Order: sequence, then structure tokens, then C-alpha cells
Amino acid sequence: MNPFEKIFNYQVISRLENSGTFMVTSHERSWLKLMLRHPAAAAAFSAETLTKLHGILGEEQSLELELEEHFVEKARSLEKQVYHPLLRSLSRAIIGGSGLTLSYKIKNDRVHERQLGVPYKMEYSMVKREWYLLWYNLRHRSFMRTKLANISLAEPADLAPERIKQAIAFIRGQLDKRKEYAVIEVMPAYNRELSRILYAFSCFDKTVDYDEDNGVYKVNLGYLSDESEYVLSKIRFLGKRVRVAESDYLRKRMLESSGKALARYGVLLPDQDEQASS
Amino acid sequence: MARESFDKEIQFLRMLVLTSGAYNRQQFAERLGISVHTFDKTIRRLKEIAAATQQQTSEEQSKEFADAVRYSYYDSADPRLLFLFRAKSLKDSESQRLALLLAAMHEKPQTALELLDLCCSGPTADAALFPDEKTIRSDLKYLEEVGVVKREPGARPYRYRIQNDLVRGLNDDELLDLLHFVDVMANTQVPSVQGYLLRDQLKRSVRRQTEANADEDSAAAGLSFLYKYHYYSRILDEAHLFTLLAAIRNRSKVTFVYFSPKTEQSYASKNTNPLFERDSGGKPQTALPIKVIYDHQYGRWYMLANNSREGIRKYRLEGMTQLAEGESVPEELFVEKRQELEQRIKHSWLIDTGGAVKVRARFFNPGDQSPNFVRERVLLQGQWGEIVEEEADSFIYEIIVNGTTEIRPWLRSFGSSCEVLAPRQLREEMIAEWKEIAAYYESV
Repeated sequence: MNPFEKIFNYQVISRLENSGTFMVTSHERSWLKLMLRHPAAAAAFSAETLTKLHGILGEEQSLELELEEHFVEKARSLEKQVYHPLLRSLSRAIIGGSGLTLSYKIKNDRVHERQLGVPYKMEYSMVKREWYLLWYNLRHRSFMRTKLANISLAEPADLAPERIKQAIAFIRGQLDKRKEYAVIEVMPAYNRELSRILYAFSCFDKTVDYDEDNGVYKVNLGYLSDESEYVLSKIRFLGKRVRVAESDYLRKRMLESSGKALARYGVLLPDQDEQASS
Repeated sequence: MARESFDKEIQFLRMLVLTSGAYNRQQFAERLGISVHTFDKTIRRLKEIAAATQQQTSEEQSKEFADAVRYSYYDSADPRLLFLFRAKSLKDSESQRLALLLAAMHEKPQTALELLDLCCSGPTADAALFPDEKTIRSDLKYLEEVGVVKREPGARPYRYRIQNDLVRGLNDDELLDLLHFVDVMANTQVPSVQGYLLRDQLKRSVRRQTEANADEDSAAAGLSFLYKYHYYSRILDEAHLFTLLAAIRNRSKVTFVYFSPKTEQSYASKNTNPLFERDSGGKPQTALPIKVIYDHQYGRWYMLANNSREGIRKYRLEGMTQLAEGESVPEELFVEKRQELEQRIKHSWLIDTGGAVKVRARFFNPGDQSPNFVRERVLLQGQWGEIVEEEADSFIYEIIVNGTTEIRPWLRSFGSSCEVLAPRQLREEMIAEWKEIAAYYESV
């Protein structure tokens, strides 16, 4: 299987653009056949569709054997959930521009009953391996992020297109407002590990500055404020290879967690010493 | 004819994605081991392909190229690097002919002669094309081989039709389910390039159906999913994946030029003119591939191989160029080496094949907050390790791993919620490291 088949060539694709020709090769079909063996398939399709798909792909070779024998994934999170039963109905509500009535559980197991809202998008966390619904709660006028696992009821609700548009615009505005920036410096002694360090940050929106005279790389990160915990865990993950150069909040948190971590080992930092004795 | 290699484009895109904007042309070209002229040529070509494949707004097109392939989470869930796999070069006339043939077979099944006729005298015929029958027959053979068209049952002359059972056999609603499923699986599973290519075609089909009532961008694409913290550059290395899998299947050695990720240069142009030959910086290697490994922690790919002189060898796919399949080895030898390797990586957190040690660590529960996210994360990411003791405010986790280097960053990422108990040396290293980290910030 050659992923650079000439049939994938961009000129062929763009020439076919308006002809409505659906062109897939056996590569894609055997990939699909492999994926249909995943338990997620049962939640993604009705039994009838699934039977149809198996019929269509009947003769196709599956990628499976080859991968199973020769391919290993390491440091992978347990796959708690890939497909959630609500994905199908919620995605249709989003595409169809409809409102929703939602009941969902919050912290301490309290339940919010029948809240009217506008769905925006669904988000999968590769770290937590769970699905979330991003939506606007009309009564509380707030942007929400709710685990699908915590939603007990989701029904379509009639809402004026105007209200839906307003809600979506509000969410987009909130996403912009919540953007934070930080500058992470690669300690020059670890420039040999630059590739690994940049890989670790490649899942963020970032740019890199390079100061050739001093051989210093700086990573400018952009992230949403509620993602700072994840950014911090990445920085701790890389340890002494990187240093937060700009972002008072992240610097303060790094000082705090290194002090607390040392305290776990019975080592006190100088100023913690003073606090302890005063 | 040698197969077209995409080493330069892959290395180029990887550097662009990882260093996003850090280097100027000169610095960039130097690190790739190419001339500034080649740098300019490559970026022009990639830009052209990117513009043709991604339906971008004109505003987006005018952005700098580095920006265009930059990871931008809430803007789009499209895999921005997929266009690499559309880069196979094709003569203009060939792409035109293939598109013409496919569109015709999309309309109705056709024989080779009917197709020939269409190319030479149909309404879309172009004098520049005028293929002969042999060309059409070899096109059909190719298209059938890759599974894009299918021969209809029946006697000669054979008729060929487009192999579009996937869209033909499903109704609109089912097609949308399929698009969603493919989107989710391509984004959450590896390998994913084929999934992204399929997603691309399905998206086009669904878009045609929903065109009438779509106004929002997400609705137009029929997609409403986002994926958080994604190593989106992982698909670049999938370029080598299938060559390696084929070599493993054939029990063949592979030859390649290896650039260790720790060297400054990551590619060197292959000079055909011996006058300009120079030491390229990469090292020619031969090895017997046994396993391909994907590391979720960094989003990187490895080849684990056997080399007759040095035994088990590990290579990062990102450093491999000029990859080619070599001679095959006897099955018994391969099986023996594979068994040896499987034993050695059984306890690798990633790929370390060093001696096994038992790591013991205490994790602290996060106070009175109801979901115990520390415990959840340990269960989710702790691989084959186990929680062996539980107390009210903490629990103890144990794991046997090869060496402590690879697990250390993970333990450290928990900050003060993790205290390493054993081995002693790892505990001391942790203390030393936290002291250094604290020193970075003491002047806050």
C-alpha cells in the first residue's frame, strides 16, 4: 500500500471537484474495514447500516492482520470511550441548527433539569478519552462544557434562528476572550533535545522564535485559560529542559508545585524554611 | 524507474510544523541540507498543492505558509498536512485524462473503446490528450488495481464502472453517520492517513447533499467534532509506515540514510552530479525491521529492528530517508529475532530495552474535590502498572519497567501529587530535578 498513489494527486482531485465523482481506493476501504471492528462501530451506526457496510466491504482485505502483528502503540491512554450514544443525535442538532433541552449532572451529583440551550460543537479529549458538548445555556447566559456521560436527556427544542446565531456568536467571542499566552524557553543546554521538546508542544497553537546569537529557542504558546492545567502538566513533564519565561500565572504555579513536590520528599525551599520557623 | 521519494517534502513540512517560524530561509535551508534556491522551489510547490487541495478562503490563502499549516484548534478540524499525500507528481495530460475517465465511468459503465472515443471526440475532448488504446487499457488496469473502478460481470468487451458502492449503497442519513464515524476514527486511532483521505471524499459527497440548506461553516462540512491535544504532525511519518509493514511482511531488510534527531541537519539533497558530492551528514543503514511503534506520549514513530552486528536497534521514523526494501532473510531467523525483541520490549514504557526495575510511587488524592482526577489519570495512563495500596488521602502505584528514563517525565508531570518511593536512585533524581526547577522560578 503506497500512500502516495498517483490517484491521490491533487490535480486529479481538483479536476473531479464538480463532477460529483466519489473516488476511493481499496486502501481507504480496508482501513474502514479495520475500523468497523472497533467496538465504537456499534454505537456509530444502526444495526441495519452496519450490516450494509459489512456487505459492501465484504471482499475488501482488512488492514488488521498486518497491524496486529507488526504494529505496537505505547503510552496510550486506556480507551474509555470513543463513541458516545449521544453523538449521533447531538451532531444532527448542531448541523441542523436546532436548539436543545438538556438535563445533566454537575459536581456533587446535583442535576440540572430541562435547561434550554444551543449546541455549538462536540469535543473529544485525547487525554481524558471522553466526549464533551460545548453549548450555550440560555437561562444562565453562559458558555458550558458538559461531559456527554453526564447528560441524561437531550431533546431537540424549537428556537428562533436569530437566537441560535446570537448564541453561537457569543460562544465564539468567549473562546477568543479566554485565550492566554505564555512564552516557554528551551534551556540551551538541552538544545540537542529540541526535536523532542517541540514534539511535546506540537499539540498546541504555537510559534517559535530563535535567537541565533545566543542559541535560544522560545516557544510562544496560545491556549484557552481552562487549559492551563494541561499546559502545566506538559511543562512539568519536560522538567528542567524548559522554563516558563513569560506568564506570571504559570511561573507562580511552577514555583508552587516544585516547592510542594520537594516538601513531599522532606526538602524545604529557603523561603518555605522561613515560613516554617516564623 | 525509481519511485518518487517525498523525503524532502516530509522533512520540510516537519521542520516547518515543529519550529513554526523560528528560522529564516537561510537557517531553514542549512538545517535541511539544501540550497536556498531548493528551499524556495519546494515551498512554492507545496503552497501550490495546499492551495489546490484545501478549500481555503482567500484570506487564509494570503497568510504565510507556515501560518497556513499551523495548528489552530478552534478554527478547523481539517488535517492540515494531508496535502502531502496529494503531492505525487503527475503530467498535466495524465491528470486530465484520469479525471475524464473517472467522471465518465461515474456517469455509466464504459468499455475501453468507449472511453477512448470520449477522450478523442467527446465534448470534453482535448487535442493535447489523444491517448492510444494501449494507454487507456493501462489506465484501466491501474484504476482497477487500486480499487477505484470495478469490472462489470459479463462477456467481452468488458465494461468498467466506478467503485462507489459506499455512497451508492447508503442513504443520505447513513452517509452522514459514516462521515462522522470516519472523522472520529481518523482522529482518534492510528494509522489515520487512509481515514483522512476517505473523510475528504465523504465530506465532498455530504456537502453536495446538504448544500441547499447549509449556511454555517461546520454545517456545510457536515461535521461538528473537535479533538483536543492532537499530535497532528503524526501523519507525516505514516508515509513510511506501509513500506515498513510490507518489508516486515516479506521478512526483508531495509536500507535507508539515517539522520539522528539529535543532529542539526535532518535531510540532505541526493546529488546526482558526483562533482558536488559531499558528506551528507546522514548515515547509510541496513537493518531488519521487526516492529513499528507509535508513541502516544510525544506523537512519534519508531522502527525497532535487528542489525546483525549490533543486535536490537531503534530508529525514529522522522530521521529515515531514502528508505528501500532490501534482501529477505529466512523465516526462522526473523521469528527468532522477533521473539527476542518481543521479550525485550514487554516492559518498555516506550522502547527502552534496558534492565527491568520496579518503580513504586505514592500519588496524593486532590483534597475534597469530588472527582479524583489524579487516580483517574493514573488508571488511564499508567499502562500495565497497578494500584497496590489505598489510603484515605493517597494510594501506591507499582510498575515493572525497563529503566526509569522513559517513565520519569510522566511521574514528574503529576507535580506534587506524586512522590517516588523506589528505586532510591530515581527518588534522588526527582529531588535534584525539582530543586533545579524551583531555582528557575525563585525570583518570581
